[in-house]
Amino acid sequence: MNQQELKDKLAEIKDKLTDIQQPLDDRISLLCEAENAYAVNKFLFEEVPLRFVIATGIDSDDCFEVLYHYAYDQLGFLITLKAFIRDRENPAIESIAPFLPGAEWIEREIHDLLGIDFKNHPDLRRLILADDWPEGVYPLRKKMAGEIAKQWPCETSVRPTTESPARRTVKLSKPVLAVGPFHPLQEEMEFFQLSVDGEIVTDIDMRISYNHRGIEGISETLQFDQVPFLVSRVCGICSASHPLAYVQAVEDIAGVTPPERALYVRVIINEFERIHSHMLWVGLAGHFIGYDTVFMWAWKYREPVLDLLEEITGNRNNYGNVKVGGCREDIPDETVPKILQEIDKLEKKTEMLTKAVLDDPIIHARLKGIGVLTKEDAIKYAVTGPTARGSGIAIDVRRDDPYAVYADLDWKVITQPEGDVFAKAVVRLLEVLEAVKIIRQAVKKLPKGPVAVEVKEIPPGEGCGHAEAPRGETFHYVRSDGGNRPVRHKIRAPSFVNVPSFRASCIGEHISDVTITLAAVDPCYSCTERLAIVDRQGSILHGYEELHRLSCEKTARLKKEIGPPEWKLEDF
Amino acid sequence: MNWKMWSLKKSPWVFHVNTGACNNCDIEIVNLLTPKFDVERFGIKLVGSPRHADALLVTGVGTRQAVIRLREVYRQIPKPCVVFCIGACACGTGIFEGGYHVAGPVDKIIREVDPNAIIAYVPGCPPKPEAMISGVVKALSAI
Repeated sequence: MNQQELKDKLAEIKDKLTDIQQPLDDRISLLCEAENAYAVNKFLFEEVPLRFVIATGIDSDDCFEVLYHYAYDQLGFLITLKAFIRDRENPAIESIAPFLPGAEWIEREIHDLLGIDFKNHPDLRRLILADDWPEGVYPLRKKMAGEIAKQWPCETSVRPTTESPARRTVKLSKPVLAVGPFHPLQEEMEFFQLSVDGEIVTDIDMRISYNHRGIEGISETLQFDQVPFLVSRVCGICSASHPLAYVQAVEDIAGVTPPERALYVRVIINEFERIHSHMLWVGLAGHFIGYDTVFMWAWKYREPVLDLLEEITGNRNNYGNVKVGGCREDIPDETVPKILQEIDKLEKKTEMLTKAVLDDPIIHARLKGIGVLTKEDAIKYAVTGPTARGSGIAIDVRRDDPYAVYADLDWKVITQPEGDVFAKAVVRLLEVLEAVKIIRQAVKKLPKGPVAVEVKEIPPGEGCGHAEAPRGETFHYVRSDGGNRPVRHKIRAPSFVNVPSFRASCIGEHISDVTITLAAVDPCYSCTERLAIVDRQGSILHGYEELHRLSCEKTARLKKEIGPPEWKLEDF
Repeated sequence: MNWKMWSLKKSPWVFHVNTGACNNCDIEIVNLLTPKFDVERFGIKLVGSPRHADALLVTGVGTRQAVIRLREVYRQIPKPCVVFCIGACACGTGIFEGGYHVAGPVDKIIREVDPNAIIAYVPGCPPKPEAMISGVVKALSAI
């Protein structure tokens, strides 16, 4: 579909809309009333079809707005449907989760933070706020902000019960395997409950909130140029992608184009981040299946990358290098040969590691066909990044809506059709090699000149920015009223859509495969550090070490069955 | 110095808790175990249960949902133990100060249940692995 056909297609639903706007060439806004939102969403998702990104709830002065963000990846368009809820007393809108499971969590989140009721939602339990959070207090409503400050301290000694808002409708069949809750993830620290029948997982329930720091709320109290430092702390590993997505949104509003050198620096920092994040994942995946050698090697190889990042930006993580209008730190000329030298070494080591992983019959037997996320499920859950590319969906923001200078560089999007854990591992390993390729070209092409332009004022308006983080698309929506702070800043981290897909990939798996299946979307590493299997009476049978042992034992058993590899000394 | 304190200083086993961190401090903690820093050569080891631990490494601001879990983990650790607040957030809520879902810095949360807790601070965002090693050495020399 080309641009005109897309516009014609969108015009088919014109009678349900109040307006169609096109603020920028590749951004389209559709406006409608709350009553029509369900029909329009169904049309956009099923008929056009668009990829669901996220929804944003906004407390405007006279109404509530729910913004549904969609992407049309073939053209790199971002399409926003704005639904206006005029009833401020009892705000309600029809849920889209029944046909779009990927929207289930975000509707629960909007319900928590703004008190908007989603009718016909399958499971409108509390998601993001703490168990002891008072009911009827909505932190992102403008009038509530002062009240909340007064309400603290609350009763933090309250223990969650089956009556607490997050748990009261859980209907898991027992026995239940509990995973969590301590699990360092970007915004989403999770507590999983898996129903098991013998060794097989039959259902899964997730509880987040442990890591909810209210960044969107804090962001509204900071100035535009302070926010990048905050959003780089959404997730430590994506600390280059989040600020980049944010500044791209603000640059859209302000109409600023950063100097070319800044765009190259952004690409280099972001690709270094991808390398160290993917290496981190490969190491941990090795650890989960009992190959600690892979863990140690992969983490050893990522150290030089962190050293280079420290040399360029001053910090091993949390670079704080992006700002509206450019970059803070330039890449010094004397660092360039060092970068080239280090990535040459890294490329050789990654190739060796890739070959070792891809040729190992035990890893094949252990990971192939495990935790399959089919292409249909991947679309329904709106997953992104390596999780989507491992299921055969070739989406990558760097190619689809090219930002910085990705369009000028030669690289390819890696996809694998199988959707299992092995496919996701292959995607990540090959992406490291692509990232090396990108950095090499960018460093060689690095133009001379300044790395930032001065930006004085941010005019009123709204902007969407997205960037390809190591885990998938990170999406930022910023609205400005002409002041020096954002009036609304919505952040969608990739794991927010990738994590709910566990429901599709874990059910039907063996318990010994759960650790690696949960790890396969790269939520983060420590989730499995605190696992416990709970039997019918609720007493703990196994700790994490037991579960990790089960996983390692399965690897060892397969190793025995397959026998030693047929390698000869000449192969080395 | 009684023998319990003396034995605490040798080969400390640590348990790691994240109470709302951005993950940076956590990867740097895991980095300590990998070949470049390798603290296991000093007998420092990450363990899977607080009941096996001598020290608690806490990262993150202390969100409302994490408060009671942190206290529960602290209760389970055999005393005496050392609590390390790793990173700016754990030391004093850092950039998240004033957030509606933030319950307070880690030392405040722990002191409410145990006023005599031994608490050490390793500031930084994130602290470098070298800083963490130095923090552990300094804290253990001080007790």
